[in-house]
Parts: sequence; structure tokens; C-alpha cells
Amino acid sequence: MKKLLAITLALMLALTMVAACDGGDGGNATPTPTNNPPAGGDNNPPAGGDNNPPAGGDNFDADRVIAVYTREDGSGTRDAFVNITGVGDDMYIEAVVMRETAQILTGVETSDYGIGYVSVGSLSAAVKALKIDGVTPSNDTIKDGSYALQRPFLLVVNDDKIDDELIADFIEFTLSKQGQETIGTTWTSSVDDQKDYAASGLTGVLKVGGSTSVEPFMNRLREAYIALNPGIEIEISGGGSGVGINEATEGVIDIGMSSRSLRDTEQHLNSFTIALDGVAVIVNKANPINEMTIEQVKDIFTGEITRWSGLS
Amino acid sequence: MKQSSAALKIRENLMRAVFFTAALASIVAVALICVFLFSQGLPAIFNVGVSEFLGGTRWAPLNSSDPGFGILAFILGSIYVTAGAIILGVPIGIFSALFMARMCPKGLYRFIKPALNLMAGVPSVIYGFFGMVVIVPAIFEAFGKQFDMMSGNTMLAASIILGIMILPTVITIAETNLRAVPQELYEGAVALGASHERAVFKVVLPSARSGVMAAVVLGVGRAIGETMAVQMVAGNQPALRLPWEFLKGIRTMTTNIVIEMGYVEYGSLHNGALIATGVVLFVFILIINTLFSILNRDKQEKRSLLSLRAKRGNPDTKLTKEQ
Repeated sequence: MKKLLAITLALMLALTMVAACDGGDGGNATPTPTNNPPAGGDNNPPAGGDNNPPAGGDNFDADRVIAVYTREDGSGTRDAFVNITGVGDDMYIEAVVMRETAQILTGVETSDYGIGYVSVGSLSAAVKALKIDGVTPSNDTIKDGSYALQRPFLLVVNDDKIDDELIADFIEFTLSKQGQETIGTTWTSSVDDQKDYAASGLTGVLKVGGSTSVEPFMNRLREAYIALNPGIEIEISGGGSGVGINEATEGVIDIGMSSRSLRDTEQHLNSFTIALDGVAVIVNKANPINEMTIEQVKDIFTGEITRWSGLS
Repeated sequence: MKQSSAALKIRENLMRAVFFTAALASIVAVALICVFLFSQGLPAIFNVGVSEFLGGTRWAPLNSSDPGFGILAFILGSIYVTAGAIILGVPIGIFSALFMARMCPKGLYRFIKPALNLMAGVPSVIYGFFGMVVIVPAIFEAFGKQFDMMSGNTMLAASIILGIMILPTVITIAETNLRAVPQELYEGAVALGASHERAVFKVVLPSARSGVMAAVVLGVGRAIGETMAVQMVAGNQPALRLPWEFLKGIRTMTTNIVIEMGYVEYGSLHNGALIATGVVLFVFILIINTLFSILNRDKQEKRSLLSLRAKRGNPDTKLTKEQ
């Protein structure tokens, strides 16, 4: 009996392999982006794009294949990147898929011909951040909008809740001097006129949810806010930008977090930009290239250009 | 003070219940996992279509206009890297086991055995990191220019790492089984004029065959289920590959789950498809474990038969056991 079972199972295994051979061509699954944001959150200070190391590359062979490193389907960094560059659903199928920012950094660091993208806040000195359309990624260029590869961190509130005292107070705090201080050097503040915030003495519970990219920032905000207002509790849930926007629309949560701009169909929500996050395109230090246009970045990540010599 | 027999009986029954519960816990855990996997995964499989899911080559779960949920590339990926690991790891493992069981000086053994145990205890993320900073660049360095490779994140890299990772499993089980071969067989061979090596390779190894096979099967189970280390070195492209494209990247079933599970929307078809990938993986492991227990059972029967025969043919069982 047991033998019979074993033979059947082994047969199934063999059959799967045969079936596999039949279907053996094509296989051009194109990975696609979603609206869900990334876990984000490496708290390394930015390397500061202004001090790019001098171009190395005596042994750099431009005829070699470009090693494209991308994040996984569903990552918010990837979502922002493909939307801004116009890569969209057409990510190059041969691109190496990495699951975390750290793996992208290691990949590009150890591969002379590598290219990848990470949040500006997670840049390390071991890789080279490219100028995009002639602009170096830095807090200044992100803030004045000249660095194109950037996305806003938004808080969204529906019309029913916008007059709520507690919600208004929390949003006032996030845009105040005390709130914006928590950004540190990880992200970029976009608030020019930062007012002083005074504790309100309110009590209650705030439900905040959405983008996991915004979550680390929200955790900092919560800590600082609760220190000033001990009577208030803040519950933070994840789920991604799309979830945050939906639940804020329905009023399931008080405040939604989003790491992308609102779409046309979502404009009925009240939104507040609490910070900006840049996406840096990184290459190996041995690579002599220092800048690219957005169009070139797109061509590389869609597989139009596969060799470094194809850039010129 | 004597306890009444009724009180004793209650206590006995109570303890019996406690032990029974403890024994049940692991079974319940496995059963729950099964229920969860199949209840969440099967609807997704049927939703996508069985042949489309198992035979489809396009994986684009988040494509807004035309999502694709074929996992054939990942099933093949798992089979390829496992096969690669077996090709690279099993010969080394079996020779090591032979050496440790039959040829190793005692002093050296005291050094090798703990090293092996340590190897089994190293977390897979460490293997993965080792692969990422050593194996991957080394492969790229060696073959990159010649074969116009994109990066060292390849099937080969995954196979090498897995080949190393299955060594402790293969060696430990194979060694145990080689040691369990009745000494009389070895002695008989030597008595007939065989050299030590000849006796080991021609007599001891063949009679431990099913045990060694069991070691290989368990190694397969270890390799097919490994996730973290593979994810870090394999490249994870969702593209269909052929076996000889081992210098290209690949995605396995395990890595497909771990890569995309983090951001998946709960209750979506994408979520279901990832769990369904787990169902397929689970079935593979089930097959492997069944094979293992069959091999193990055969071995036990054979062993008792062998020792019986040895005893019958050799009534003086107090022969020296020194080697």
C-alpha cells in the first residue's frame, strides 16, 4: 500500500517535470509595480550627493552588459521609481530582483557594472549616486524640486474628519518646527514656514495607517507627539499607500499615510505633504559615468539599453 | 499517609492526558498548517486554473491590465538549483562520510565532527551573505566577460551555496548509516583478501546504499526548502530557464514567496497565488519525506536480515570489534 503511494507520488514528480518541458518557451513574465510602499526605513544618514568620489574606471569595459538591480514587485521604492521614470509595467525581465535596500547596495557595490536605485536616505559611501538630468540628489535639490526622482510623503484625511480637533492638532504638529525636526537627515522637509507647536492637552486615540515607507517617519512623529501630549494614543497600521488612502476615504482610520501623490480619483481627500523622499540611482564606484538623463535610466531599466557603451 | 486508589487513578489519568496533549501538539501544528495552506491556496489555484497556474510561464501578479499567475518557471527553478546542489554536494558528502566512518584517524575526527556540527548550525542568512560577497563576484569574475553575463547572481551560485548547505545533512546521515553496516561484512571482505579501501568501497558502501540514498533525499529536502540564502544569490528573475542556462539568474518557489509576501494585499489573488506556491512546495516536500521514510524502512529490514545472516554463519559473535 505504502509502496503504491510512493510510486504514485514519484510518478507525479516525474510528470511535473515532463509537463515543464512541454511549456518550455516564452516565459516573458513582466513584473509590475503596485501602489504599495516599501518597508523603507534604513536610517543611515544620506551620503550627501555633493561629494561623489572621483570617477575610477581604468579597467571599466563599457562594452560589458549592464547589471540591472531592481526591487521586488510591490515595493514602494520600486513603485515610485517606475512611475517617475516611466518604466511602468515594463521592467526588464533580466533585472536581478533584490528584496531589501541593503541587498541592492551590496549588489551594486560588488558588481563593477551594476546599477540600482535606493531611497536617498539609505545611500552609503560605498556606491556612487548619479546626477539625474544634471542634478545631484541632496536635501536641497529634492526640496526645490530640481531633482526629479522624488516622491512626497502625504497624510490624507477625509472631509468628515478634517474638523476633528484631535486630527487637526496632530497635523498641525507634523507641520510644526517640533514635528519637522524628527525628519533628521533621512528625508527632506518640505515645510518652509515652520511654526512653533504648543501642547494641546487633548486626550483620545488616533488611528493612522497606510504606507510602510512613511511608517518609520510616523513612528518618530508619534514618539515626539506623545511626549508633548501624554493623554493621546496613536495606533499605527501598515498595508501600503493604497490601503491607507482607501481606509482614510471610508473613515476606517483617521489619517491615511501615502508615499505617492494622489491620483485624480483621489483628489477629494485633504492631503498634507509632511516630507519628501528622493530615489537615488546608484552605480559602482568603478563606473566612470557620473550622470544620466531620466530617459537613459528608463531605457536601462526597460532593457532597451543593455550595455554601458549604449548610453552615449 | 496512603492515598486512596481513586485519587491515584485520577492522578494517573490526569498525567496521561498531559502526555497525550504534548504528543498531540506537534501533530495539531502540522494539521493546522495543512488546513491553512490548502484552504487559502487551493481557491487561488482553481481561480487561476490548475494548468494555467502550474504550467503558465508568465508571472506578473501586479500588472494592472493583464495579470499573470504562472509558476512553472519557479517550479523548474527549484528543481534546477536542487539538482545542482545534489551534483555538487552529494559526491563530497558521501566521500566525507566514508572517510569519517571508516578511514579517519581518531584525533582528526574529534576536530572534523564539531566543525560539521557547527556548519549545520550556521544560519542560512550567513551562507547567503557569504555567497553574495564571495561566490557571486567570483563567478562573475571567472565567467562574466567570456559569457557576457549580467551579474554573478546565477543558478550556479545558488547551487554552490546549497551544495555547501546540504553537506552537514548528507554527511551526518550517511555516516550514521555507514557505521551501522555490520562489522562482519567488512571483516569478511578483508579476510577474503580485499584491501581496506576495497572493502570499504565494494562492501560497506553498497550495503549502506539505501541509508546513503536516504541521506541524499534528506539533502534534497533541505535544498528545495532553503529560502534566504538562495534569495540572496539567485538573482530572482521570474524568467523561464533551461537547465544549461545555469549562468543566468533564477527564481525558486521559496524565494518567490519570501520576496513578494511582504507587500501583498491580504485577501487578494496575488496573496492566494503566493500561498498556492507554498502548497506546491509542500507537496514536493511531502513526496520527498515519503521517499525518505520508504528508504529508511527498507534499510531497517535489510539491516536486521544482514545481522541475522552474519550471526548464523558465524556463531562466535564475540569476535574482536577492533578495526
